[in-house]
Amino acid sequence: MTEATMTAKERVLRTLKGEKVTPVPCFSGVGNVTTKGLEKLGYRFADLHNDAQKMAEAAMTSWELFGYECVVIPFDLCLEAEALGCVMNPYAETEELLYPTIKEKSKLTTEQLRAAATPELLKKGRIPLVIEAARIVREKVGDQVAIGSYVLGPFTLGGQINELEVILKGSLKKPEEMKEYLDALADVIILVGNHLLQNGIDYISVREMGATSDVLSPRVFKKVIFPALKKVADNMASPNILHICGSVLPVIDMMAECGYSALSIDSKTPMKEAREKTGEKTVILGNFNPFATLNTGDAEGAYNVAAQCVRDGVNGVHPGCDIWPTAKPENLEAMMKAVRETSV
Amino acid sequence: MALDSAKKEELLKRLAQGVVEFEDDEVREAAQEWVDTGEDTYDAIFDGLVSGMEEVGKLFSAQEYFVPEMLMAADSLYIGLDILKPQMKPRDSGVKGAVVIGTVQGDVHDIGKNIVKMMFDVAGFNVYDLGRDVPLEDFLKKQLETNSDIVCLSAMMTTTMMGMPKVIEMIRAKNPNCKIMIGGAPITDDIVGKFGADATAKDASNALEEAVKMVVSLREIQKEANAKS
Ligand code: B12
Repeated sequence: MTEATMTAKERVLRTLKGEKVTPVPCFSGVGNVTTKGLEKLGYRFADLHNDAQKMAEAAMTSWELFGYECVVIPFDLCLEAEALGCVMNPYAETEELLYPTIKEKSKLTTEQLRAAATPELLKKGRIPLVIEAARIVREKVGDQVAIGSYVLGPFTLGGQINELEVILKGSLKKPEEMKEYLDALADVIILVGNHLLQNGIDYISVREMGATSDVLSPRVFKKVIFPALKKVADNMASPNILHICGSVLPVIDMMAECGYSALSIDSKTPMKEAREKTGEKTVILGNFNPFATLNTGDAEGAYNVAAQCVRDGVNGVHPGCDIWPTAKPENLEAMMKAVRETSV
Repeated sequence: MALDSAKKEELLKRLAQGVVEFEDDEVREAAQEWVDTGEDTYDAIFDGLVSGMEEVGKLFSAQEYFVPEMLMAADSLYIGLDILKPQMKPRDSGVKGAVVIGTVQGDVHDIGKNIVKMMFDVAGFNVYDLGRDVPLEDFLKKQLETNSDIVCLSAMMTTTMMGMPKVIEMIRAKNPNCKIMIGGAPITDDIVGKFGADATAKDASNALEEAVKMVVSLREIQKEANAKS
């Protein structure tokens, strides 16, 4: 099949297999619904999280409106935490659009997590709802575009279900205990990730932004975080993407060593240096600052930023973190155009 | 046992070093020894504990220390503070007062806010910590209830930051004399002006260092006020 006739889904899945695709795909493994998309549907952001139909429709809008090459569900970071007994706040009452957060933490211990990591867990919270949403999306888009979803990394998930301060200090003070804890969380993540991949999700991101080198020393990363991230990579089906935003240059070699299909980084990690440290084989997605580029910047700037990512040698153009919904439509269009028009 | 200058130097060093190396026991013992002399603990807090925290700030900026190290040092500082504070002679400088602090609605990033709060604790303020993800009206409610001098708003996201001007407007309408300080990674001097706040910590990227600077300047104001009195 020639590249001209490749579907967006093939372009993304081939990229994640390490094949060179020209032009590179422009997609992400994290949230990308826009207020433009919501307006078109007449939905409020807060109404999407607990409704499979609305979630599915909203998730498809960036693909439909801008040709963004993915459909990603859900939109918040609470899926596994909820299944583990936490309570989410969707901000249904607030006027402004806000990303949901955890308002009550279940504070499960290592033993409780071990006990929770059974297939029973997969019936809890909104896990079935996300799978239903994936089914609805598939019905609509068929094999045109890949459906992505995500799980949190062990450390970041730990910070959702427990007080992050306790986990941060534990990583330094009681590394052995913390390794056990993250190991138990890894089992939960593997379970949920594989379940999603077996039920209509085409690729999955593991979002471990809590363990960025802005927060944790490379020493702690190596000793405490790396073993759990490696366990996830070893036991979760592919394609999978390890996403850590913030500056991760000091640990990018370890991220590569974990063995994920691809790494995703943001603008705080310079692409050229990242490439030098990981080598040509590592698939790297990135690496622009979504808010500055798509929300506050203009179309020309967005074009240049996206084109620069391609020239810097990313295997896929991917916003650092979530695209914030109020992103300007003309900026998204410029980003897509730049990626189509730029080659290395 | 009296506190001669050699002993004083030794204890100050142990307090500062104890914070830098997060040696809780060392800080606890040194603080207790100081308290046992019956002397005023003002210097122990500022030239011991806080000077240790300033060093931690430098190590953080130099990327030798990271967030866990900073949190552990803060814990050690609090251990010392709990022992020393009851014996600190009140300074009748005008700066001591009450602060309402919290991270605005929609935002759960509270590590930075907690560090800022610690500095107010050290400086002897009455701190009312509303926590994170605080509904915007709650800042006003607490300010009115406590008649605090300062309200501190923290936000780490460009998006949640947009809640700040709403809080500022609410407070200004009811209590124009209240000082409002805003901070967090997306806050710049420009934004302070735009939102109508009174101040921010100068360089948010320099995380701890900036918060420490705030206390240092507070300390200077305190000193000045003391010198005048
Ligand atoms: C840790 C972290 C988290 C943790 C937070 C846990 C917690 N309990 O705090 C978790 C993993 C839960 C998290 C989640 C998310 N995060 Co986050 N997170 C961070 C991270 C890595 C570090 C923040 C931190 O603690 N720094 C250390 C402290 C010491 O520094 P500080 O907060 O800046 O505080 C200092 C100063 O700012 C100042 N200061 C702070 N407050 C105040 C107040 C006053 C009055 C004053 C004077 C000064 C002051 O003094 C402090 C001490 O020195 C930053 C990236 C970064 N490097 O900053 C992203 C970051 C803040 N997160 C971000 C995002 C987008 C998110 C998420 C939406 C998910 C995502 N896509 O990654 C969710 C949203 C959660 C929510 N709704 O709030 C973005 C924000 C982008 C933006 N500009 O809008 C950042 C910048 C990452 C990025 N590069 O995109 N995150």
